[in-house]
Amino acid sequence: MENRNITTNLLIKQLLQSDNMAYVPGYIASPVDTEFRVLDKAYQDTGKQYAKIKTAIDQGKCGNCIEENNMLMQLEAAPKLSLEFLENVMSELSVVETSNYDPNNYFGFMVANCIISEKPGFSKTDGYDVVLQLLENGTQELTFTGPIFDKPLVINSAALKSLLESDTSMVVETPDINVSMTELLVESQLFDPKSIGEDKKLGADAKILETFILKFNGEPDYEIIDLGNGKGRNIIRYDMDKIEKKVTPFINAQVAGILSAEQEAIAAWNVYLSKGTSQEEDDQMVQNANAASDSWSYELDLPLLQDKKVLFLEKYKEYFYKNYLVQFLTNKIPSVQKDASVFDLEQARQAKAEKLMSSTK
Amino acid sequence: MSVLIGSAISAGASIIGGIISGSKARKAKRKAARKLKRMNAKMKELEANRQEIINPYEDMTSLSGMMSNPMANLSVATQATDMQIEQTDIALANTLDALRESGGGAGGATALAQAALQSKKNVAADIEAQEKSNEDKRAAGEEKLQQAQIAEAERMQDAEAMGKKFVYSETESREMQQLNRLQNQINTQQGIKAQASADQTSALTGAISGVAGAASAFYNSKG
Repeated sequence: MENRNITTNLLIKQLLQSDNMAYVPGYIASPVDTEFRVLDKAYQDTGKQYAKIKTAIDQGKCGNCIEENNMLMQLEAAPKLSLEFLENVMSELSVVETSNYDPNNYFGFMVANCIISEKPGFSKTDGYDVVLQLLENGTQELTFTGPIFDKPLVINSAALKSLLESDTSMVVETPDINVSMTELLVESQLFDPKSIGEDKKLGADAKILETFILKFNGEPDYEIIDLGNGKGRNIIRYDMDKIEKKVTPFINAQVAGILSAEQEAIAAWNVYLSKGTSQEEDDQMVQNANAASDSWSYELDLPLLQDKKVLFLEKYKEYFYKNYLVQFLTNKIPSVQKDASVFDLEQARQAKAEKLMSSTK
Repeated sequence: MSVLIGSAISAGASIIGGIISGSKARKAKRKAARKLKRMNAKMKELEANRQEIINPYEDMTSLSGMMSNPMANLSVATQATDMQIEQTDIALANTLDALRESGGGAGGATALAQAALQSKKNVAADIEAQEKSNEDKRAAGEEKLQQAQIAEAERMQDAEAMGKKFVYSETESREMQQLNRLQNQINTQQGIKAQASADQTSALTGAISGVAGAASAFYNSKG
């Protein structure tokens, strides 16, 4: 089922992004009916029904009329309920349009959104339909049908409301890992507070604090790199143990925040973390790298077991180091002028070796 | 957006507009609520695992145990006085022997014995003077020791007080920072949530009047 979700979701997304339908011969000329008339059809008989019940009550034809009065109250409350229900459905379905949407979500939501937002290829003419029904128990039901569905997608107003009120969702939104990791860079206290702007983001010239530079006998322990032609220069080495100790509590806190909604952690896992791809690789793809066979399932893996939470933390940390922190740790030239200049490579290596030898003695 | 209402009901646009803006407001409200939940979980984790505030004075120990009065056990130098007594006794014995051999009278012996006695008195006085001097030094040493012990006790009390003050002020400052930060975040998120709720209500109100208009048009058309 996961594969069907991934393939269908990605296929529809690519079709829409490529404007594919515009170039299908004959599509523009064809009469496309997107008049689903959801509310019209749902309420087309309610006027008569209301009048009939009201008349029966007014004329005393229904005894104590308890049932009739209940029906009347349901009919009166129905429009408000319909509006709330449709608002909830639309707000949930709109999640499929977010750029980092997890294609492991049920593909029916993508299709339903296409129907309700009149996307080309999902009209009545194409065999799709959506119907709102007012049920006798006072709840309402929205049914999506069409050729792509094995069985209709049915959403009940009370079930959806209950889901949403318990702080969960029908369609899972993927948390924006970029925002989370940018926050982490700022919060980790690795950088000089002066390099953090009013927008709470790191400035372009942000540098890791001196205290995290690796030192030997109190002096920065630079790495010497070969520039060619016998020349070399110093590159700062960082004390990774110290950096890790500093950053880890903040990573743990960020992950705890994401895990406060485990379904969103699954989405983040499937979209960003499981494959260990880089941010650049993700950006180059139409859809961010997805876990495919390594996906975690919303149906089977919730609530998340402890081993999955630990794995999530490890991968989150790895992603942060690989995609966010690395740029501040790599090829950094010393800020001290004399240490930053280009030098004779052989002499510098010899001097470093001698320094090491004398300190060992 | 003819998906929802297809017929030419005049109120249709307002219903659709209401539903669309209502759905956006609901989405914004849920997003704000989720963010708030995440922030609370994050803050809880940070607070639960923060480093303990260390009292920099807690390992300070009292040095009073190392203090003692160096003058407490001063000894009296009796070797010289013992020698003086011994020599006096030897001299007395020699003189008595000489007197006996020369047939000296008892008066000479008495004078000698008195001289010897005087000499021993001098020795006793010397010992007494030494003892007095030692006693004075012991007392002076005791006084200094007590002063030093009081000063050390005061230093320990100050350190304890400073340590408590440090921990209190650090805790207070850290907690206040966190509370303020959390409160600011909560206020912001609650504001966003409240605004989203207000938007949602106003969208729904607009849409309901649209439905009422549509219903009235419907009933009127049916006569």
